[in-house]
Amino acid sequence: MNTALKEYTASIDYGISSARTEIDRFIIPAVTIFIALLLFFFMLFPMWSILQLSFFKGGQFGISNFTLANFHKYFTTSYTLKALWHSLYISTVTTIIVIVIVFFFAYAMARTTISGKTFFRNIIMMPLIAPSIVQALALIYLFGRNGLITAHLLKIDWNIYGSVGIIFSEVLYCLPHAFVILYTTLSAVDIRLDEAAESLGATPFKVFTRITLPSAKYGIFSAAALTFNLTITDFGNPVVIGGNYNVLATEIYAQVTNLYRFDLGATISIILLVPSLMAFMLNYYVSRKTFSMISGAAKPVIPPSRPLQKVSYTLYCYLVAFSIIVIFATVIIGSFVKIWPYDWSLTLDHYNFPSIGGYSAIYTSVWVSLIVGICGSFITLVAGYVMETRKPFFKQFIYLLSVMPAAIPGLVMGLGYILAFNKPYYFFYGTPWIIVINIIICNFTLGILSSISNLRNIDPSVEEAAISLGGDTIRTFFRIIFPLSRVAFFQNFVYFFMRSMTTISAVIFLVSATVHLAAIEIIMLDNDGWTASANAMCTCIIVIVLIMLGVLQIVAKKTGGRPEGLAAEI
Amino acid sequence: MSKKLALENVSKHFGSLIAVNNVSIDIEPGEFLCFLGPSGCGKTTILRMITGFEQVTSGAIVYDGKVINDVIPQKRDFGIVFQSYALFPNMTVTQNVAFGLKMRKMPKKLIDERVTEILALIGLTGWESHYPSQLSGGQQQRVALGRAIAIKPNVLLLDEPLSALDAKIRVRLRTVIKRLQEELGITMIYVTHDQEEALALSDRVVIMRDGEFMQIGSPWEIYKQPKSSFIAEFVGTSNFIPGTKKNEKIQFGQLEFAVAGIENVEEEKIYLAIRPENIEMVDVTISAEDCIPSNVVEVTAEVINFLGAIVRITFILEEEEMLVDLPEKEFEKINLKRKDLLKLYFPPEAFHVYTELFRKLI
Repeated sequence: MNTALKEYTASIDYGISSARTEIDRFIIPAVTIFIALLLFFFMLFPMWSILQLSFFKGGQFGISNFTLANFHKYFTTSYTLKALWHSLYISTVTTIIVIVIVFFFAYAMARTTISGKTFFRNIIMMPLIAPSIVQALALIYLFGRNGLITAHLLKIDWNIYGSVGIIFSEVLYCLPHAFVILYTTLSAVDIRLDEAAESLGATPFKVFTRITLPSAKYGIFSAAALTFNLTITDFGNPVVIGGNYNVLATEIYAQVTNLYRFDLGATISIILLVPSLMAFMLNYYVSRKTFSMISGAAKPVIPPSRPLQKVSYTLYCYLVAFSIIVIFATVIIGSFVKIWPYDWSLTLDHYNFPSIGGYSAIYTSVWVSLIVGICGSFITLVAGYVMETRKPFFKQFIYLLSVMPAAIPGLVMGLGYILAFNKPYYFFYGTPWIIVINIIICNFTLGILSSISNLRNIDPSVEEAAISLGGDTIRTFFRIIFPLSRVAFFQNFVYFFMRSMTTISAVIFLVSATVHLAAIEIIMLDNDGWTASANAMCTCIIVIVLIMLGVLQIVAKKTGGRPEGLAAEI
Repeated sequence: MSKKLALENVSKHFGSLIAVNNVSIDIEPGEFLCFLGPSGCGKTTILRMITGFEQVTSGAIVYDGKVINDVIPQKRDFGIVFQSYALFPNMTVTQNVAFGLKMRKMPKKLIDERVTEILALIGLTGWESHYPSQLSGGQQQRVALGRAIAIKPNVLLLDEPLSALDAKIRVRLRTVIKRLQEELGITMIYVTHDQEEALALSDRVVIMRDGEFMQIGSPWEIYKQPKSSFIAEFVGTSNFIPGTKKNEKIQFGQLEFAVAGIENVEEEKIYLAIRPENIEMVDVTISAEDCIPSNVVEVTAEVINFLGAIVRITFILEEEEMLVDLPEKEFEKINLKRKDLLKLYFPPEAFHVYTELFRKLI
């Protein structure tokens, strides 16, 4: 003790280096500017290019060049105008169906005591691991002109091409997205409210309509807005199963790729942007309310459900799970049989991809996705940290920039990239790097939101403790913040990786003769009539994503993080 | 050795809210100073301005003769202990304590020596490789203390360091902190809303309310001579008697109390404060001949709370609810029950006289 005291009272021998603290002053502003520039250049600039091309003659900005001719042409051509009505119709119907299906599914998960919940939760998340084309491919195999069910089992002439097909595939595609929101909402609302109402003599029906539904209304709005947005901006499913039934997304693609009408493509992009922006803003507005309703209040154990309720919810959940499994099973089995549905002998022929891309496309997809995963989760974490903990002067501004990508349909962003960067001096155009950047920017919002919510869970005193002990920004970040954000980092990595492996709309305009991506190959193969090979490519993507999920599950377990199944990754 | 720290006319505004309003104090080297006040009184804001996490709106924080308003927290060399411990959960006890030293690029050998000393000092030798989650709350706060003093700060700032702990551990850690302060001779600035803690630890206590200093003094002064009715109410417990001054006596309903030291009071409306333990029980704690008859009242015991060393009796005097404390030993003798009659004596010199009342009478 005495020596300790002697040592203690000696003067401070090692101070904090002044040079370091001087440099430290510039780090936060520098990073903030970097993030702002990144979003300006790779988000606002492409969007500006689209606006320019749609509103100005020849794409030349200037008062005298301002014109509404493109919009006039769009709204007076009945074929293109139809796409708008089709899109609105499809999205509205899909939204209603999805919300009804998912509400009861989420209710079963959050409020009943049925068994097999983990299984159901994992199954409903499955659509996330495949491109939004798998549903259309499977439905065609089942209900198409040569569909297993329509043509061979029922021997009827009806087929699913057109609006019905799009709606069915979109419903199956949107399930997990809506489920995450409704499940969170229903689990967060205090179940004791229901019990209180019951104890006061309300019938189960009254409890449901007066207590359960109203308490979940923000969640329902939020899930509906998200579903609407996902459906109206989806490209993969309608392009495969839509047939002659055109929607806005397919119309943009057709104008640009088939007719080389970039100006009309840009114009339709603006028209698509309006409803998707409105849905996004509604979602953004109500989701803030949703989360303000979710408190840390104690959640008592769910009371045992009545037997009849249990049986009917179990059957219902099996039905939903079964539909999803059938979709995946059809595509996977379809990729291994000789000629669906005539010749069921097994073969690997479809895995000899007849297209130019083939396995090199898969290879490119994997390494692009790895880079997107690492860079995306790192950039969003740094951006979240800079924004959240340091509160720089233009925090609100950066925040606004960061949530904007979620409002912009991938296809529109992709078109913007062509218009903005297809110039010889943008050396990265036509390389995989523009794809990497595009995917990161397109998924920036969810990445940064999950980073922020994680950072908010870190006690601010921990960071202040590090600072008071002499820690500078960089060392505090790498020694304290980064290790504490590890789980969120892994989750973001998985998210970016999955999105990168499965996205179609964002990158379809950016693949080139030399750069192929697996998800885009599916469309190319299907387009050229190699449907079985398209299924095979789909299967490859599913397997790769599943392997990655497994690896990360193991890594996360080893390092102490505990993501709970697929649901935790969203 | 420690250097002198002073606040000079310091104010802090958050928008239109005035969190700290023009306060000044000199803190002596090696002093143990407590800021005590209800939540929202600005005490934590003062601490955060001293640490550098908040900027002062006006005024100066002076340390060792230099204004340090613009010095960043890293360069202030003040140790901080947080209410939430704020240990680095990803680091062991050793790594936590060594963090500040590593930031100072101290050679590894010296760091190891210093960490060993510190762990001995806080009584955690043998726990080196444990993670914070494997320690109890009390142990975690010891690590936080050790981590803060490892960098040899001249001033240690403690922000409600014990309020997250159990009552028993709180008292034990209080002793640890007091001993460290005396042995190391560091200036300690301590923020708390727990009056018992403040009185037990400090050399001086600053009572705060609404961003202002209400009274600065030793714990004894604060308790025995509260400058305002707010302090009489906030520190310890007081009964308040609203009365009017008449013929050098204080009228309260039908009663007329003799009160020491009211000769110079101008106002007519007077509030008397008397602590429950200063009210005597006639024939139990004081004999009847020693009482001034006007200050003896007869009341009914409404509620009897057994609190261990003392028994607290609630009674009603002229429609005001009041408390009297009786040592448990005395209580045992009289075998008092609810609704029994009590004869109480209010000694004239036990009253504190105020001309305004902070709280509403309940």
